Amino acid sequence: MPTLKVDHERCTECRMCYVVCRELDINAVYVALEPLHRIEIDPETCTYPGCTACLPYCPADGSIVEAESGRSVVPPPPDLWRRKGARVPDV
Amino acid sequence: MAGLPGKALAQELIAQSREESRRTPLEGVIQAAKAGTLSDEQRFRLIGRLWTLERMFYYIYGGWGQGLEVNDFPPAVKYLFSRQIVDESTHEMLYLDTLLRRGWVATQKNAFRHPYGTFTMDSALAYYVFSLRNFATYAHTIRIAALNLGPKILELGWMEGLAEALVDDDLQGVFASQFVENRSHVNMGRRIVEEFVEKPVETELCRWACATAKGDYRRFLRELSDFVLGRETSAEAPAVPAHAAE
Repeated sequence: MPTLKVDHERCTECRMCYVVCRELDINAVYVALEPLHRIEIDPETCTYPGCTACLPYCPADGSIVEAESGRSVVPPPPDLWRRKGARVPDV
Repeated sequence: MAGLPGKALAQELIAQSREESRRTPLEGVIQAAKAGTLSDEQRFRLIGRLWTLERMFYYIYGGWGQGLEVNDFPPAVKYLFSRQIVDESTHEMLYLDTLLRRGWVATQKNAFRHPYGTFTMDSALAYYVFSLRNFATYAHTIRIAALNLGPKILELGWMEGLAEALVDDDLQGVFASQFVENRSHVNMGRRIVEEFVEKPVETELCRWACATAKGDYRRFLRELSDFVLGRETSAEAPAVPAHAAE
């Protein structure tokens, strides 16, 4: 399964992904324990591509990418949001 | 720099607070961390209460922000304040992340409901929060002097001591990663006081506000320390605030 990571060259640290992930109780997005306090995604906890809820809220094109391929998923490509079975988990 | 009107006051407040920061009521927790006797339960209590205080800064700064008006201060002052709001929010996130990462709570909602994360009115934490919120009725320079050159310096003091004492790398990172932002807040406070506190009445108000905020913060730290170490809290909030009794 592909996993997600943040491209810090493009991320604006608006933290919308953090808020969405917390609200869904997935808690994969976190603040790194370093002085810059950048936003990171824990691939062990993230349920992508099962959940893609953070992607449409991200305002910075290309700031979340698939770690393995480097493919940008912001804005979400059609194959993600049209994918059968893709859903936002129940809260 | 020598011509800055509030330079002497800023130096005075910083020097006093640095002196006080050498020994805060959190010393017992630091000693327990140094001795390696701070249990998992005690760490949970510590982070839970710090998270509760940190999230109340949304409420405090909300009140302060309402008191800022167009053209009352140069944009630089408001930029520094907005930066401070973002940093405080980051620290709230750091504490919540820790509660979740350590498995102390399962979800964000559980953190709000857990006794260690609940905001209660009858507490030194609440007393400190309302004390800061009440500074909303004072000029921005005075409340920034009160917080950034008072409790923020005390906080930096105990946080550096605790981070050094902790053998738990993860928890050490939670505190150590805040140093840069905390030092930045002190520097913001210094700059604002140096540049904008000019009149004698403002100088006196800054001294009073800073002493009040530190007193209320120390009371919170005593409560926190007692709670973490399982001691009976001896720090009662005064029935009448000190300034009202004068």
